[in-house]
Amino acid sequence: MNPADAMQAAQPVADMSLFGLFWQAHLVVKIVMLGLLGASVWCWSIIVDKTLLFRRTKEEMDAFEDAFWSGRSLEELYRSFNDRPATGLAALFVAAMREWKRSFEGSGRQIQSLSQRIDKVLDVTIQREVERLDSKLLFLASIGSAGPYIGLFGTVWGIMTAFTSIAASKNTSLAVVAPGIAEALFATAIGLFAAIPAVLAYNKLQASVAKSQSRLEGFADEFSAILSRQIDERLSLAA
Amino acid sequence: MRLSFDRREPGVWISAAVHAGLLGFALFAVVAQAMPEAQEGVPVEVMTENQFSELTKGVREADKPMPNATPRADRKAEKIEEREPENAAKDAPAAPTRTAQMKLASVDEMPLRSESLERAEEAKAAKLAQEKAEAAKAEAARAEAAKAAAEKAAAAKAEAKAKAEAAKAEAEKREQLTKLIEREEAEAAAEAKAKADAAAKAKAEAAAKARAEAKAKAEAEAKAEAEREKAEEAREKAEAAKAEAAAKAKAEAAAKAKAEAAAKAKADAEAKARKQAELADKFNAGDIKTMLASKAPSQSTGSTGHEVQKMAALGAATGTSQRLSPSMRDALVGMLQQQIERCYAAPPGAAQGVVLPMLDIRLNQNGSLGAEPRIMRGGASAVDQSIAQAALRAVRRCAPYKIPAQYAPYYNDWKAINAEFEFSAT
Repeated sequence: MNPADAMQAAQPVADMSLFGLFWQAHLVVKIVMLGLLGASVWCWSIIVDKTLLFRRTKEEMDAFEDAFWSGRSLEELYRSFNDRPATGLAALFVAAMREWKRSFEGSGRQIQSLSQRIDKVLDVTIQREVERLDSKLLFLASIGSAGPYIGLFGTVWGIMTAFTSIAASKNTSLAVVAPGIAEALFATAIGLFAAIPAVLAYNKLQASVAKSQSRLEGFADEFSAILSRQIDERLSLAA
Repeated sequence: MRLSFDRREPGVWISAAVHAGLLGFALFAVVAQAMPEAQEGVPVEVMTENQFSELTKGVREADKPMPNATPRADRKAEKIEEREPENAAKDAPAAPTRTAQMKLASVDEMPLRSESLERAEEAKAAKLAQEKAEAAKAEAARAEAAKAAAEKAAAAKAEAKAKAEAAKAEAEKREQLTKLIEREEAEAAAEAKAKADAAAKAKAEAAAKARAEAKAKAEAEAKAEAEREKAEEAREKAEAAKAEAAAKAKAEAAAKAKAEAAAKAKADAEAKARKQAELADKFNAGDIKTMLASKAPSQSTGSTGHEVQKMAALGAATGTSQRLSPSMRDALVGMLQQQIERCYAAPPGAAQGVVLPMLDIRLNQNGSLGAEPRIMRGGASAVDQSIAQAALRAVRRCAPYKIPAQYAPYYNDWKAINAEFEFSAT
């Protein structure tokens, strides 16, 4: 019998479709592939969520700034924003105003260090907001950096099994070598498939977070300046 | 991870849906093309038709090239019947009888049980027929003897009878005659005596004739009778003999068959052993002779050509032998240059030489010079000329060159070397 025929008889023609590649893989490689696929799903869900969140945050910030600089009194603004959970600039404003109000509501006026307290409150609020924006982005970073390695692990494992099968079949023809390697490389492909969007989105979203953070800080400084001017006016009046 | 749909965070669902869609598309729409069949590479040397024909002209183990080398031909080409391979061996002669394998085959040739039975039956029938025939023959012989006897007896009897009859007839005739004579005499006593004589004569003649006729008739009758008797007798006898023979044969056959059946195994074994012993021992000159006679020419009828050519040649003297590859040629020239350089003494001012001398060196197979070396190309200047002359001298002086044995098959290619030699000027 012709050796080539024998080889073909011994080895069924490899199914090179995606499903075939997955199904012929070793269990470890399968787990790697499934994990990477799940990571990809999760990454994209984070990307979509964060993109929507940032857009929403930006719109809210714009709307709030419009409202803030529209010339309405701070009391009025506070009343209109206090009744609903505030995010972004509104959260800063509400937190600062709450501290302000608390300082004047009590019997003794604690104006002396009010400005410092307001600064602290604003800082904490900014941190909280940034944390909210920033959450889950770390996962993108992890997938972006670790995804290829995980895929590579699957590939190495697959190639090891492929070479074992080559050694078993005692045949080095490309037809024997290629399917195993292809299915092994499929794991790396999935890893890259998950990692590339994760890296790109992470960079983009990180930039958005930084922009939002700077905007929050800018507003906080501005508002703090306004409030401290008020405090100083009150102090001078009191004195 | 919340599984309820949140309008503000639809990412999980969107992402999962998109992934599922992509995967489905990849599974059902994007099917990888079937990989082409793997084909192992086979090293192939490409050669021209001319090279091939050159290859076929010479024989590697021949002594020397021939002026008109032609491919070896064992006999003249003729049209021969081309057979299919499965029929090629059909008219090969029968194998000779005295080989080791043949002994076994002959043993197998011995009659088997069923065959022997059939043969025994056949033999029985044949024997029966023979017996019958023999019986019939014996009967026939007996019948013949009887016939002969009967004939003799019949003849004697007939003779006697005939004699008696003849006597009787004579008497009658004589009576008649006398009567006639008397009547005639009485009737025509007066008729002419001559007439009477004639009549008497005629009468006598007629009488004689009648006598003869009667005799013949009697004889024939006797004979027929005898024959009939004989035939009847013979028939009876034959029938009796036949019945007897049949009975005898039957009995004999039965007995024989029994005996045969009993003795057959023994006989078979004995015969087999005997035959084997015979085959092993027998020296049959005839067998050997037939074996020798049956030696047909082998199926391979040898190479053919226009005419018979049994002189092996290295190929033609002109360009049919193996050629040096460029690298081998370079190596050979380098070797020669190295050897020549040892005998080379640079002429004064050799460093100013411009043209490298090209020498024509003729070599024998053992490395000695086959002819005077010549300068194929030297420079025009005096320095170049002197360099070329010095090189020529060096070639002559170092004459028997050592040429590795691996170059021997390529002698035809290096027996004349035209190469530029570059010697150090010192």
